[in-house]
Amino acid sequence: MVTPDLVSEEDIAKLIIPDDLPDEQPTFKAYIEAKVYDKEGHLIQYHRQPMRSLTQYFLALMAIPILATYQSASINSAPSLLVNVLGLPSNAGCCYSANISWDWSIQLGSGTQAFSLSLSSLAAPISNGTGAGELVYGTLSVSYSGSTILVSVQVSNTTSTTVSVTEIGLAGTIYIQYNNGSINKYNFLFSYDTFSTAVSVPGYGMAVFQITLSFTG
Amino acid sequence: MMIGREIEDIDIRMPIDAYDIGKDTPTFNAYLTAVVRNSDGRVIRVHRQRSHSPTANFIGLMLPLSYFNTANNSFTLTTTGGSTYTFKPGIGTSARCISYPNTANNYYSYLVMIQVGSGTRSNPFNAYSLAAPIANGSGTGQLIYGSVSVPSNITVSGNEAYFTISQAFNNSSGATVTITEVGIIIYLQTASSAAGNTNIGQLLVWYDVLSSAISVPNGGSVVIYYTFMVNP
Repeated sequence: MVTPDLVSEEDIAKLIIPDDLPDEQPTFKAYIEAKVYDKEGHLIQYHRQPMRSLTQYFLALMAIPILATYQSASINSAPSLLVNVLGLPSNAGCCYSANISWDWSIQLGSGTQAFSLSLSSLAAPISNGTGAGELVYGTLSVSYSGSTILVSVQVSNTTSTTVSVTEIGLAGTIYIQYNNGSINKYNFLFSYDTFSTAVSVPGYGMAVFQITLSFTG
Repeated sequence: MMIGREIEDIDIRMPIDAYDIGKDTPTFNAYLTAVVRNSDGRVIRVHRQRSHSPTANFIGLMLPLSYFNTANNSFTLTTTGGSTYTFKPGIGTSARCISYPNTANNYYSYLVMIQVGSGTRSNPFNAYSLAAPIANGSGTGQLIYGSVSVPSNITVSGNEAYFTISQAFNNSSGATVTITEVGIIIYLQTASSAAGNTNIGQLLVWYDVLSSAISVPNGGSVVIYYTFMVNP
């Protein structure tokens, strides 16, 4: 029989989140980069800064490959953490088959707001379009090298007026597909950061924004 | 094509605070804690270290649909037994994605265990199994595996959020058992309404070599805690 835990829960909490570990390599680093080009294709601004603010939804997304999607080999319900944090159903009660997948996107904005773990959107998202203050978003590019995941998007400013980008987020949608053909979508903001200096996309210019997620530091 | 010459065109200096100086506050951390008790139930050692190593399987499962769809990519998952599976989720009736609970009592994907071992892998990212898993039992060199414990929610403290999974192991082998490696293992099935379901098997998704070995005395126990935290 496994010995019961004789250390109090309070003691365990102090142990599992140590604040006195040596200054060794962190588990994870993330960066945001922006390259801005003028209408002639010349690089006119390069910006790179650490990403600092992951939301609780990113943590819950990470939990899916760690906890998987069932409570156990014999409980036909999703882990409560996924249900409570992401709002996913505990069971696809309608159907005899269901699956889960997700996609990401990079959202840009022109506002700022204080960070919170439960942020759901940017302060002032920049719409996809050709109107004033809008940018045309290209297709998201995702690649990986070892334990580093690179996510980037190209945006174009088709107007004559500069568009200033002050905030960026990694957003995403979780899909649950059912065998009856229906798909439920759940939208989240996985990270939120403001730029230390605004990134200005000039009229008829373009920019590439990249988020680098590097595990093992 | 609008893009012309690269950064050498213009004198652009990177902001000083953008350089990787190794001092940035990480936005995510994982910790591995082990609490060892003797046969009287007294704590005789607490081992703590940062956890570093999602495996390739973890990265493949984390990748979003854009990775798979845009360039028709797939990802090769490797089971603990060394079998491979071409993972390519998508949207549509034939897409093979991670199974989700439904009205049929099958297709389960679940957390199997925190597994402990007595070997080491030199390249954790490429690891698909522990080097020398310690078997569940009371024989020589074995440990009795308890059930893995999973929280029902994320714990929030200010801008920090974390969850911890844990598992106890009891030593009734008659001698000290030494742990040098730890991993997280899930069982994965894919489900597709048109293409059927596939048992992939057990996957190692996280792996760590302990910074110092843990000795569990005969009659004693150890509880392993994995904590995953954002904005620590």
